[in-house]
Amino acid sequence: MTARAAFWRGVLDEAPLLIGVAPFGLVYGVLALASGLSPWQAFALSFILFGGASQIVFAQLWAALAPVFVLAGSVFVLNLRHVLYSAAMAPYFRALPLRWRIVLAYFLTDEAFAISISKFQSQPDMPHKRYYFLGTGLTLWSGWQLSTLGGIWLGDLIPPALNLGFAIPLTFIALVVPVLRGRAELAAAAVAGVVALLGQSLPWNTWIILAAICGIIAGWAVDKTQRGRV
Amino acid sequence: MIWAVIILSGLLTFAARFIMLSPLAPKSIPDAAARVLRFVPVAVLSAIITPSVFLSGGAAVPLWDAQVIAAAVAAAVALISRSVLITLIAGMATLWSVGYFLG
Repeated sequence: MTARAAFWRGVLDEAPLLIGVAPFGLVYGVLALASGLSPWQAFALSFILFGGASQIVFAQLWAALAPVFVLAGSVFVLNLRHVLYSAAMAPYFRALPLRWRIVLAYFLTDEAFAISISKFQSQPDMPHKRYYFLGTGLTLWSGWQLSTLGGIWLGDLIPPALNLGFAIPLTFIALVVPVLRGRAELAAAAVAGVVALLGQSLPWNTWIILAAICGIIAGWAVDKTQRGRV
Repeated sequence: MIWAVIILSGLLTFAARFIMLSPLAPKSIPDAAARVLRFVPVAVLSAIITPSVFLSGGAAVPLWDAQVIAAAVAAAVALISRSVLITLIAGMATLWSVGYFLG
């Protein structure tokens, strides 16, 4: 397989995921403007931050006038999961020149990671892995930027009665429910979900950070007791 | 001001993506850290889900609200189909139809 073929293989493998990403980006664009961000700021978030869930939370917290440390802290906690992806990709990309690793890290999203890692694990000897990953990452990136722009442009045309914003929790449900296999995952989800509800009136919208940390601790603790019993 | 926050958030996110690919990275994540990080996605996403399902405009919604029913249907569909797209379609269709009949 040539580098070019590997790149296009990545593009083709990633493309079906855009069906789910497009409405998400559209909703983000609409929500960002409704939150008081300018079109440029809404687009800059897609370009600079490039992370769907954290962009939505950023917009919501911005609308709620949360202070800077809560904004940045929430985004940071939300995106901590990327450390795991980065670690999983490291064996394949560690030997590459630094400029390649910087570029690939920028494209390391949930969706590009999911497609690439399953490919690399099933075909460990595949040549030109970096080009394959670039294909998946660039495809997702283009879909996200275009659908964001679509939301920014067409925002006014989408009737509020459609409740399109509900697509966001639904997307997250689709991602979370299938991984709730063990008691530890269930505990993490339940505690985080309940603390998020109870913490709504906390100052500066710190509930997201607090709920996430409580959920992580709950999952870790249950996992630890299970581990101890074995 | 907002631009500074956008850039700061972007840098923090990039740092999380780059850290294990950076020249300073250890060969692998320490076990203790991996055991904690494992729960980050589930906890974070659940914390975002519940307020958007069980609250509306800051107030609690009744359990027969279209949002709650749509979320329950979506959870069941997600468990069976494991597809984001199918879950999204089932959830939105439930939200609209329940809202139409009850609203």
